Amino acid sequence: MKPPSAVKIKKMPSRFKHQVAKYKVTRSNTCINCGTCAKSCPYGVHERVEGHNRVRPPINYKCIGFECQNNDFYCVAKCPRKALSLSLNPMYETLGDYRWTADMITATWIMAETGYPPERKDLEYNIGNSGGGFDKLRFKFPPGRPKIDKLEISTEITLNRRNDGRANIVISTPVYGGGMSFGSVSLPTMLSKARNATIWNTFTCTGEGGYPEMLQPYDHNVITQVATGLFGVREETIQRVRIVEFKYAQGAKPGLGGHLLGEKNTESVARMREAVQGTSLFSPFPFHSVYSIEDHKKHIDWIKEINPQALVSVKVSTPNDVDMVAVGSYYAGAHIIHIDGGYGGTGAAPDIAKKNIAMPIEYAIIKVHNFLKEEGAREAMTLIASGGIRTAHDLAKAICLGADGAVIGTAELVSLECVRCGNCESGRGCARGIASTDSELSALFGEEWATQRLVNMYHAWNVQLVEILQKFGMRSVRELVGRTDLLEHIDYSAPR
Amino acid sequence: MPKKYHINSKVTPLNLDYVFKFNIERGENCINCGKCTKVCIYEAHKRRKDDPRKMADPNTVVCRNCFRCIQECPRGALEKSLDKDFLNIGGSYWKSDIFITLWKQAEDGKVPVTGAGYRGPFTGSGFDGMWTDMSEIVRPTRDGIHGREYINTSVELGRKLNHLTFDEKGKLLSKVHDTVDIPIPIIFDLPPDNLSPNVKAALVKAAVELNTCIVLPAGDIASDRKKYIKNIIPLISHKEIDKHQGLIKNTRIVAIEYADELLSNFPAAKDKIKKISNALTIIRIPATKSVETIVSKLTQNGAEIIHIVADYRGREVNGSTDYNRRLLKDIIRAVHLKLIDDRIRDEVTIIASGGIAMAEHVPKAMICGADLTAVDLPLLIALGARLYEEPEKLLIIPEGLEKIPVRTLTQRIINLMGAWHSQLLEVMGAMGIREARRLRGESGRAIFFEEIDNDTFGKLFKKRETVNV
Ligand code: SF4
Ligand code: SF4
Ligand code: SF4
Ligand code: SF4
Repeated sequence: MKPPSAVKIKKMPSRFKHQVAKYKVTRSNTCINCGTCAKSCPYGVHERVEGHNRVRPPINYKCIGFECQNNDFYCVAKCPRKALSLSLNPMYETLGDYRWTADMITATWIMAETGYPPERKDLEYNIGNSGGGFDKLRFKFPPGRPKIDKLEISTEITLNRRNDGRANIVISTPVYGGGMSFGSVSLPTMLSKARNATIWNTFTCTGEGGYPEMLQPYDHNVITQVATGLFGVREETIQRVRIVEFKYAQGAKPGLGGHLLGEKNTESVARMREAVQGTSLFSPFPFHSVYSIEDHKKHIDWIKEINPQALVSVKVSTPNDVDMVAVGSYYAGAHIIHIDGGYGGTGAAPDIAKKNIAMPIEYAIIKVHNFLKEEGAREAMTLIASGGIRTAHDLAKAICLGADGAVIGTAELVSLECVRCGNCESGRGCARGIASTDSELSALFGEEWATQRLVNMYHAWNVQLVEILQKFGMRSVRELVGRTDLLEHIDYSAPR
Repeated sequence: MPKKYHINSKVTPLNLDYVFKFNIERGENCINCGKCTKVCIYEAHKRRKDDPRKMADPNTVVCRNCFRCIQECPRGALEKSLDKDFLNIGGSYWKSDIFITLWKQAEDGKVPVTGAGYRGPFTGSGFDGMWTDMSEIVRPTRDGIHGREYINTSVELGRKLNHLTFDEKGKLLSKVHDTVDIPIPIIFDLPPDNLSPNVKAALVKAAVELNTCIVLPAGDIASDRKKYIKNIIPLISHKEIDKHQGLIKNTRIVAIEYADELLSNFPAAKDKIKKISNALTIIRIPATKSVETIVSKLTQNGAEIIHIVADYRGREVNGSTDYNRRLLKDIIRAVHLKLIDDRIRDEVTIIASGGIAMAEHVPKAMICGADLTAVDLPLLIALGARLYEEPEKLLIIPEGLEKIPVRTLTQRIINLMGAWHSQLLEVMGAMGIREARRLRGESGRAIFFEEIDNDTFGKLFKKRETVNV
């Protein structure tokens, strides 16, 4: 795989002085300020400033942790007064959760910084701690050395499989960015997502908040969304893009529609959405004009009429009958069926909905893939999964289960140093400037930094995906689709 | 259309000592530069009032875990950890986070809303092992959430007829039984008896204002409570019906403790009650191993409402400590299916309780087959109570609670129920169900972990093994 020529990997470090430390180095008061540790640790954890009578407190995040024990420079062993000790940092426990573990977040940060999967051995970043779904699936790699050269492996997928004379869009990596609307994320976030999509020859999505003018330079790589509120939907925006997405529901809050608080409906947001400033905006659920597949088809026909080249994607969540909905979308003429699982991200959703409503994406992929196959429609549809795809391994597993590709959102935000604190919608919004339109907070980072971080993270994922394909001896990611035989499940598969 | 049921929530803080999640400490190497004050948008870091050159201790209660102060302090002087009290509170069933969310709901009466996706385990035991379904495109409208269309959460208590009979002239022959309607599928269950009078009063007042009922021991119903008797369900032994005639006369529902003799002589007990008043009778029965058989027998014997009580962690009660005891989810499903098999499901109302800890447990219990639920501990947690599971169940009522005005306490309970009611609407709205009564036993509209996991991964991976062999 050769990434698109626009992809340039450049180191893009954290924008903060300190990173979140996994380890903690403690110096007790038996320290005599001899400076041995400062001399021995090559990572700069210990700093002794000439003229000061005490060594500076350790810079924990730079420490590589317990694996250092085997090094001859291991400071804990070197200290003549046994003043140093090494432990897990209690702070690390406050980072992450069952789905996105602290290791996974840290690793994503490293990918966004370096463009490659972490070299550190102490991070378990390919699986989370949720105890189900992707976290219980493993690849069954065949033994032996890989025979295929990485450069020969393609990660491209086509998005139009209908053969209907419309554009045959090919993306270079089987992932694109999820919808985050203007108003829910900061401008640099939105623009960097679009720039990254252009660089990687893939897509990003406007979300349901209308089509900001700043995105026009990236039209070629933007999916515009038609959601139930129809905010800011215009013929001209539909004519501008190559893919139009109907959003029926969102995995994190299926069946609940959307709600933009009055205070977030600022002048610019209101203009974009063609609404009155300061009023709360509701996206109803469902489309009040869609009660049947026939109605659904009428909407798709309408888009196709307005833009004779555009592909149509249908985004739905994952109820019990998601398979029927998918087949219905096929009959209605959609090109892409995008299923969004219950554990997916959101700018704001009731906790009760995130946890309890609709099924996790893992089950839905298999259900939809199989049903489309039974109905003879699988070959004509592109199946995109989202809602809980956190890592390159999740992506590859989703493809093995039957998806063609995936949409990601949280992983993009984490690349921009989201800590998943969940405060995106409260008060001034995201304290870290990612999901906020507050003038001060949204100026915390610039577009350049953010774009490079995304380009790097997409690259690291691609590297991992190519590695997986290489181990399976595959020349294209398309060969991986539906290959559940390459997976095992630690609860069911017999130990090998 | 019935009048729309509305719960009036009002922000009601209670200045008690709450457990918080994140503990921030400022190390000695702080140089008082004030950077943390600038970066914390939740104002956890302030200077000392008496000496503004120095930083005050961090106000960790407001910390929202954004990591900015940690990452931006020039000296790396700040440390954050999970608070010890937070880690200790509750236990394996009553998770620490439950307390924080219940306190918050009791304070503001709102549906908890956060950003970012779900953070918890993929699945869990009991109610955590099921998801509720939703309707996608091709079903009728269901916008109940924002007041567009009314979702009715009321349920009926009492026996329903299997069918009606008419004479040749078309006159109704069947006697239609009395029922009691309550506007939410939740009643309040038996508070512990060591509560201070203001707390007890608040529980009763809240039940009255919400127009639901509260189960109280008959002996504990002070005469000044009698004006609320329509919302009180006195709990008596079946042997004491005569003794409590006065109460029974005025109440709408009585509860009697289950005893084995009731299997045969329940009709006699019920007749005795009916002679005194029209009150409906609940039989309160512990969720033992054979509870479904007993429930079925009682129903065949004329029981109209049966209240199944699991332990405080929603487990079967059988005197043993083993962890294989059934959980409320499975107990209710077993009872519901048994009654369906015996073709008597509609003849009895099933109330489920024990371990109802979060709003989602209400619709889930109903989907499993309960008609409604009874809550107990969350009502006290709303008032700041803490619960510890280990080494044994311990409920701690906050100090000073006895001095808080009844109105404040009542409002907090109402707030919590308001938040639960709104969350029930969210779940029902997503399912496209407009009548709470229709949730009962709708297990086809839920996704059960064991079933779906086995149907997808189980089949997929086991099948292959057998093919290989
Ligand atoms: S343990 Fe190793 S990496 Fe960590 S501070 Fe000591 S020498 Fe440096
Ligand atoms: S508020 Fe927290 S969860 Fe939301 S985007 Fe910002 S860092 Fe991420
Ligand atoms: S930023 Fe650090 S050094 Fe500055 S006042 Fe805060 S804790 Fe002290
Ligand atoms: S972590 Fe964030 S919210 Fe918490 S005290 Fe620091 S800056 Fe404030």
